[in-house]
Amino acid sequence: MSQTIKIDGVTVPFVEGQTIIQAAQDADIFIPHLCYHPDYSANGSCKMCTCRVNGRQMSSCTTKAAAGQVVESNTEEINSERRVLAQMLFVEGNHHCPSCEQSGNCVLQNMAHRLGMTALTFPNFYPGRPTDASHPDILLNRDRCIYCELCVRASRESDGKDVFCISGRSENKRLAINSRSGELLDSGLTRDDAAASVCPVGALIRKREGFATPIGEREFDRNPGQAVNIRAGTLPKLPRQPGQKIRVATCSLAGCFGCHMSLLDIDERLVDLVQVVEFDRTPLDDIKDFTQDCDIGLIEGGVCNTENVETLRKFRKHCKVLIAVGACAINGGVPSLRNGIDVRELLETSYVDGLGVDNPGIPTDPELPYILENVSPIHEVVKVDYFLPGCPPPADAFWHILSNIAQDEQPDLPYDLMHFD
Amino acid sequence: MSTASRAAAGQKLAEYNNNPVNVLQIMRQIQLQAGCVDADAIEMLSDGLGIPRAQLLALVQFYSFLHLEPRGKYDLYLSDSITDRMLGSLETAEVLTRELGLSPEGHSEDGEISLSTTSCTGLCERGPAMIANGHAIQRVDTKRAKEIAKLITSGIPVEDWPVVWKAIDDVIVKKGPLLGKTLTPGAAIERAMRLGPHLTIAELEVSGLRGCGGAGFPTHLKWETCRSIDADQRFVVCNADEGEPGTFKDRALLNQYAEVLLEGMTVCAVTIGAKTGYIYLRHEYEFLRAQLLQHIEARREAGLLGRNILGHHGTDFEIYVYMGAGSYVCGEESALLESLEGKRGIPRIRPPFPVTRGLWGKPTIVNNVETLCYAAGILEHGAAFVMHKGNEPGWKLLSVSGDCAKPGIYEIPLGTPISEVLAECGASDVQAIQVGGPGGELISEEESGRLLPFDDVNTGGSFIVFDSTRDMFDVASNFTHFFAHESCGFCTPCRAGTKLMAQMTDKILDGHGARLDIDQIHTLNRVMTQASHCGLGQKAAVPILTTFEKFPESFHQRMEDVDYKPAFDVDAAIERSREIVSEERSS
Ligand SMILES: Cc1cc2nc3c(=O)[nH]c(=O)nc-3n(C[C@H](O)[C@H](O)[C@H](O)COP(=O)(O)O)c2cc1C
Ligand code: SF4
Ligand code: SF4
Ligand code: SF4
Repeated sequence: MSQTIKIDGVTVPFVEGQTIIQAAQDADIFIPHLCYHPDYSANGSCKMCTCRVNGRQMSSCTTKAAAGQVVESNTEEINSERRVLAQMLFVEGNHHCPSCEQSGNCVLQNMAHRLGMTALTFPNFYPGRPTDASHPDILLNRDRCIYCELCVRASRESDGKDVFCISGRSENKRLAINSRSGELLDSGLTRDDAAASVCPVGALIRKREGFATPIGEREFDRNPGQAVNIRAGTLPKLPRQPGQKIRVATCSLAGCFGCHMSLLDIDERLVDLVQVVEFDRTPLDDIKDFTQDCDIGLIEGGVCNTENVETLRKFRKHCKVLIAVGACAINGGVPSLRNGIDVRELLETSYVDGLGVDNPGIPTDPELPYILENVSPIHEVVKVDYFLPGCPPPADAFWHILSNIAQDEQPDLPYDLMHFD
Repeated sequence: MSTASRAAAGQKLAEYNNNPVNVLQIMRQIQLQAGCVDADAIEMLSDGLGIPRAQLLALVQFYSFLHLEPRGKYDLYLSDSITDRMLGSLETAEVLTRELGLSPEGHSEDGEISLSTTSCTGLCERGPAMIANGHAIQRVDTKRAKEIAKLITSGIPVEDWPVVWKAIDDVIVKKGPLLGKTLTPGAAIERAMRLGPHLTIAELEVSGLRGCGGAGFPTHLKWETCRSIDADQRFVVCNADEGEPGTFKDRALLNQYAEVLLEGMTVCAVTIGAKTGYIYLRHEYEFLRAQLLQHIEARREAGLLGRNILGHHGTDFEIYVYMGAGSYVCGEESALLESLEGKRGIPRIRPPFPVTRGLWGKPTIVNNVETLCYAAGILEHGAAFVMHKGNEPGWKLLSVSGDCAKPGIYEIPLGTPISEVLAECGASDVQAIQVGGPGGELISEEESGRLLPFDDVNTGGSFIVFDSTRDMFDVASNFTHFFAHESCGFCTPCRAGTKLMAQMTDKILDGHGARLDIDQIHTLNRVMTQASHCGLGQKAAVPILTTFEKFPESFHQRMEDVDYKPAFDVDAAIERSREIVSEERSS
């Protein structure tokens, strides 16, 4: 008789020498992971596959299965830790999914989705690590690297080349290239190498393949996998008189109004919505300032200048609940791609060297707001109560949340309404 | 600089016979000689050693004393450990920066002087400490800093600085058997040979000897496992990395009891059947290296090392000294082995443990300096060596520093109450004691009845006293930054977690702390403790949390009673914009 372990109560057979994650995979049990890959030696660094094994937390990709082991994986305890790990990886790099070639095919994104990581509550590091575009066929965007070392292992173990290596330590850890120039161009890496297509995120990608598959048909659009113990953030219940409408204010900071458009996309349900919702200050009705305090403030966009800061603080002051809507509000999004570029260069690019600039010169009118050194997510400036991810969040997500609130229910975000792009 | 680094590379490659095993030793020597291991040196090393460039680059960028960019002719590192800070290292830095006209980054305009900070240098009781061109300089108070600035300005090389500055002696305050009894060179080896491995290990078992490096693992079990595994080769490695802030007892042993250490290593070697041993000595202890090599040489001549030890045919054992290059995590035994193999010090996946698969995959004993010294005493005199009153076995060395009249080394019987050590070292007005370094335990004065190692309050040797004038939040903040700086970066929870912890600490320090930050720290702590790959990450959130628990006022005085306060500072964020606009207006 073969030996067995128990994973979340299910009896799973294993072969001598197998790790827990291997036994789980053979039994079609999903244990979240990033740096583990069945074709390569285990690395054990991402810690996403951490499980409680006989009472102690261990990496399931490096822990051998042993008869009678009791493994807990899909528990709220473990998943909440994984959610924090996913958050750590997001804030440590620049993960702006809406503008990333890998979006929809990205394992980190999918993992965050399955784990129900709606919020980024930690400050973003905005690292600014050097990009390597030297190679004709392959691009390395280090700001998206999660140090899974899969490319390192694939190059060594499959391609026999040893093109990559990890350098540095602590936050200065970097993916280094083994070539005379230190760049990919003369590294000997080719388009067909296993290493060129093994990256689980958008860090190491093949050129001219990005965005080839339309949204809706990408790998994880088609098969997102089962949600793992989804538990979105909880929104405080609003103290309201029965039958009283919810007062909502909205604004767009450094955003593109896409989130507002999406809200309007609830279409004819708007008619139902206005039965229960009353809009205060919002670009939708052109009310410029708060007429009274509101229940809910929906904020689109990140914070890029002093005017944004002021507006956001005003919203915080006048709204009982503040919701960060969309990728830009949550982690800076596309506008924050400018972080790390000197402000002078930004201003000159826009107002001096920009295309079609008539009257070149950096504007100095005292009426104008100052631009901030970095575009920040709104939770770094004010307290945010709830996060609604997406670029933009789907109309149904707005609808769902607002109707939750209107019906005095605890709002949640169903799996299929949660997106990172 | 490039010519200097090329010359140094050529010379060191020849000295080490182009042996790739010595890559880190070679790099360290190039750094000391040429001030950097730059791209040219890397190129030469890559060709000479057959190691890919990126892997060499990875080493330079991992170890904190190796640099790609040239350091100044005067290459100064000021120790930034809490004990140095308590002795005024921040003022020292200020004086040096001012007197030498250094930039905030610590460079002189001509590039001749570089000043940086470094983690604990192991001179905790004689700080503020500095490493200047590889030399340890003690007690660099503001007065000495001014003298140093003068010497540098007049171009006097560090070699010619006053000898007393560099004379690192050891204050041994309290002696037990190890520090007190004289041992006869060779006696322990002889007895171990006579007893044979079984009885030698049994003797260790009776003595109750446990690892003194921090984990307290029973030494006899380690030796027995290592010995019983089938292998063609075994190694003995002495962990002399002593990186735990506040610890300097290994330094004293290496300095004054090197004979005992070498004896202990040899006892281990004959017991487990090893032919080669290494002492992994931290970079900061360069000043101990030459005399250690002399001791090794002398013992070889006396027939206590080398071939046919004590005339026993076929009993051979060599000991090599291998220098670290600046990394606290290399004190973790498996990271240490990686470093010994010439790689970055990343802790290995365990199991397998070093005793079964260690250096070059062979069974290896990694023991702390002190453990090996006790082993020598126990083998010479029997387990009675470590018995104390009440016939309980076991002693431990403490490195006592901080606010007390008599800092230094104390050898205490296991189970000594903390209060007794406090009385002996002349500590008054005690607020707290950090036992076991940053990852150890913060003990408040009320808890000083608790007992020292191993079972109540554990320690690898660090014992730092804080009196009531100290701000315990500053202490926790210093430790938190230490962990962020020393994280090897391998695993997610520690790499990102230590940096987030440091950011939150700074946020609170700046007066922006709020309840949500404390919640976040708890969340991070849970993940870091549970999921980190090694002890560093597992312990990194401890200082902040225990300080919050035991000294909440030190937090509350910096925090308002609110849920949330942003760290965001508009004025700082628009400083650059303002500057540009005013430049534009005036042009
Ligand atoms: C981050 C970290 C740093 C360590 N640093 C040291 C050290 O400097 N010296 C030491 O002896 N042990 C250190 N240790 C403990 C070693 O891993 C190991 O337990 C010890 O060398 C074993 O020797 P022993 O049994 O004689 O104590 C460290 C452990 C960790 C996790
Ligand atoms: S899709 Fe791109 S940006 Fe988003 S998580 Fe993946 S790698 Fe990062
Ligand atoms: S580039 Fe991609 S595959 Fe390579 S380490 Fe980074 S995330 Fe992993
Ligand atoms: S816990 Fe920290 S020091 Fe230890 S392996 Fe992980 S990153 Fe490295």
